[in-house]
Amino acid sequence: MTAITIEPPKVRRRFRKSEPLAIAMLACVAVVCLAILALLGVILWLSLVEGSPGIETYSYSLKNFGEMITDHRIAGVLVDTLWFSVVSLVVAMAFGLPAAWLAERTNIRGKTLLYTMMTIGMIIPGFAAAMGWLFLMHPRIGLLNVLATRTFGFEQAPFNIATVVGMGWVQGLNLAPLAFIMTAAVFGAMDPSLEEAAQMSRANPLRTMLRVTLPLASPGIMAAAIYIFTIGFAAFDVPVIIGWSNRIFTFSTFLYLLISPQDVLPKYGVAAALSTIVMILAAALSWWYGLMQKRSRRFAVVTGKAYRPKLHKLGWTAYPAWIFLGLFFFLSTVLPIVLLAWSSSLPFFQMPSAMAFKLASFNHYRGLPWDLVLTGVSNTVILMILTPTLTLLVSIAFSWAVIRSKIPGRAFFDFVAFLPHAIPSIIFGVGALLVTLYVLQRAVPIYGTIWILLFVFTITRISYATRMTNSGFIQLHTELEESAQMSGASMPRVFRRILVPLLSPTLLYAWLWIALLTFRELTLAAILTSGDNTTLPMVIWGLWQGGGLGQASALAMIMLVAMAPVIALYWTIARRTGLMATS
Amino acid sequence: MIRIQNLRMSYRSGGESVPAIQDVSLDIEPGQFYTLLGPSGCGKTTTLRCVAGLEEPDTGEIAVGDKVVYSSTQGTWVPPYRRNIGMVFQSYAIWPHMSVFENVAFPLKNDRSRISPDQVRKRVLDALALVKLDAYVDRPAPHLSGGQQQRLALARALVGEPRVLLLDEPLSNLDAKLREEMRVELRELAKRLNVTTLFVTHEQLEALTMSDVVAVMKDGKIIQSGTPAEIYSQPRSAFVAKFIGRSNIIPGRVMESSRSAGEVLVHTDFGRVRCRDGGGGDAVVLAVRPEDVEIVHTGEPGADNIFEARVERSLFFGECVESFVRVGDVSLQLRLHPEEAPNGGDVIRIHLPQKRCLALSADS
Repeated sequence: MTAITIEPPKVRRRFRKSEPLAIAMLACVAVVCLAILALLGVILWLSLVEGSPGIETYSYSLKNFGEMITDHRIAGVLVDTLWFSVVSLVVAMAFGLPAAWLAERTNIRGKTLLYTMMTIGMIIPGFAAAMGWLFLMHPRIGLLNVLATRTFGFEQAPFNIATVVGMGWVQGLNLAPLAFIMTAAVFGAMDPSLEEAAQMSRANPLRTMLRVTLPLASPGIMAAAIYIFTIGFAAFDVPVIIGWSNRIFTFSTFLYLLISPQDVLPKYGVAAALSTIVMILAAALSWWYGLMQKRSRRFAVVTGKAYRPKLHKLGWTAYPAWIFLGLFFFLSTVLPIVLLAWSSSLPFFQMPSAMAFKLASFNHYRGLPWDLVLTGVSNTVILMILTPTLTLLVSIAFSWAVIRSKIPGRAFFDFVAFLPHAIPSIIFGVGALLVTLYVLQRAVPIYGTIWILLFVFTITRISYATRMTNSGFIQLHTELEESAQMSGASMPRVFRRILVPLLSPTLLYAWLWIALLTFRELTLAAILTSGDNTTLPMVIWGLWQGGGLGQASALAMIMLVAMAPVIALYWTIARRTGLMATS
Repeated sequence: MIRIQNLRMSYRSGGESVPAIQDVSLDIEPGQFYTLLGPSGCGKTTTLRCVAGLEEPDTGEIAVGDKVVYSSTQGTWVPPYRRNIGMVFQSYAIWPHMSVFENVAFPLKNDRSRISPDQVRKRVLDALALVKLDAYVDRPAPHLSGGQQQRLALARALVGEPRVLLLDEPLSNLDAKLREEMRVELRELAKRLNVTTLFVTHEQLEALTMSDVVAVMKDGKIIQSGTPAEIYSQPRSAFVAKFIGRSNIIPGRVMESSRSAGEVLVHTDFGRVRCRDGGGGDAVVLAVRPEDVEIVHTGEPGADNIFEARVERSLFFGECVESFVRVGDVSLQLRLHPEEAPNGGDVIRIHLPQKRCLALSADS
């Protein structure tokens, strides 16, 4: 036998000399990847370490995992979290899926209104919706319960929102817009000629639906379901507002309890161990999600022609359809806001009555702790401007490295950029907290400043932002950039004159969406604020926890009103570009 | 004007290194219209992109004019935006966020010697007039038809008065009629401006009608180059004979050869054929083009390259008829004037003119 020696292929020097921008972008990508991995790494490390912050010598053991397993609460929490996620997924799909089908595959009129009604709820912060629902169905003060006990003389309150199912219901309503957008995209991207071919093969509409439409849509719907389940699993807002005071915990709130308990020492090690388990779970889920996405893309339209799927004629069934849509809009948007407004104007929460109307005033608004509120507002505004800007700059570098450069290992960058979506964001918050407490300590005094919030907010939004910029880059033909190079434009100039202008609709849209998410972000702020770096949602939550329900409602109302102009702008752009958020 | 020496490049795909160009050398005279022709995956576009600087080769040297733009031994690398080359892309790559004027003005605005706005305007209008688009100056670029976008891409490539023009299959996205017009127009424009042009295509018709020199590429190598007439009438391999135009390829063995007279006698399955010597060894293939086979009514089958053939079927094309005949066990294709066309089932006599039969090496 003759030995065949294969010369190892040279690593190609793609950007030698003269491309400082390329080097800068790659450096940026590498640093951010390291930061993401470091936050997760510190959790893995601490899950195996005994001891607490500040101790000089560490010893490694599985003690934390042992303690986690013996903690009788944890199994209950995980079961409750799963149950909560399943309920919210079912509720979200029950509203989102039919609405998506109506919007994309029927001739229902007023589709602009339909889209608006289905998606406007997305921008109501989960904690605001939760507060509204609590006012409606709280076992003691909930309007519905008071009404029912008075009218029908029930011994006990018939409704209780403070249960796992109740929280799932509220979370589901909050996630339904996302379910709608994701499944509408699936229905919209389907190749109509496949259905037409089925009909030409003598399949009636029902058979076409069962044998062609649904099987084609199912991987996409499945992918959407996994995505929504992941978000439900990681949810913090709704469980913390509704469940916290009733000692019902889900994963995120329990993790929060472990690291900031009121009575005992923080159990960082157990928190790290629990996070490790959930990270493994998240990895499995996102692998499944990736599989479904791949399958779904294989079925999507590839012709690129402007086909419109054949639309089903609705006839009289349009009326029940609109009632269904109207009901959703009422439950998801109108009801929580009305209840917040009602609560914010009364000295204490009570049933609407002549007496109550007389008592209504703006006292809660006037009586807000304005010093604290203004600190929160200014921090939130700074973060709302810096977070999307920084995130998008980093994401452009990521997408360029992943889509355009040919450097080895670019797929790994993309994988790391996706981690913050797959893994509940509270874990990144805990990671950042542990890094500042254990590793940085006093060397880099970042704890308690808004810079740590900016850092973690940016990291956790990178998944969404890179998905947006990736698809932006993919849609741009490389020859558009190459022809600019051939026209004598250097790399920075190609970015400034060609890439950024062509990507600007995507960038502007993503900027506004990240700004909105930053505005309402509570999860990470809860982990990482202490005093001076408080944010607006934290102030609201603080008031709520302290029993100032009216004041919390008042501030939440102010926040909703303040968001309105950004929402309007976001809306116009979303409509113009045909883009919609999915995170 | 363009000189490429020993260029090599490979792509990495899934950890493996796939050669795209294997030792390509070529030399293009100033003002020449030079075409790289070959099937997809032969390395022609990669070669073009190496000249542009959009790909970085592994080894070799590229010079544009008297300036070396890439050399692996000297470590020279001129980035694409400093090479002063005009290029028309397959997709045209018209920037949709700019007007027609802005698209063409872009190369001038990147020029390091700042050009005055008046001068920019004048040169843009000149370039647009050259491609007959001056009536569309202020139109948004996406509002142009395919043919107009192509002219716009051409104007943009020419506005900087480049030394060299690169064309990457620029006609492949046009419909048949427009393509025919643009073939003539492109060549005339290149000739009028006396710009050295490197053209890449897989359409032999484009290569033959437009070029001064055609280089046929296969598997990352240039296997033959020459004027279109040379390439067509004197292919040096069966691949070129089949790829440029069409050829009947008949396997055979050389019986006797008189190299001095440039003649060989080839033994085929259906008899002996006297051919021109195309530089083959013992085992050869005989290449003869369908239009070169004649129908004769005199002469003895078996002698003087005349054979008896049975017609299987004839296809009517309007300006000609293509007949498929069998000589012994060998199928041949004939291209005949409609008046000469035989019917299916006829037995005819065909003549393979010695001057038009080439004995080529059987290896390629």
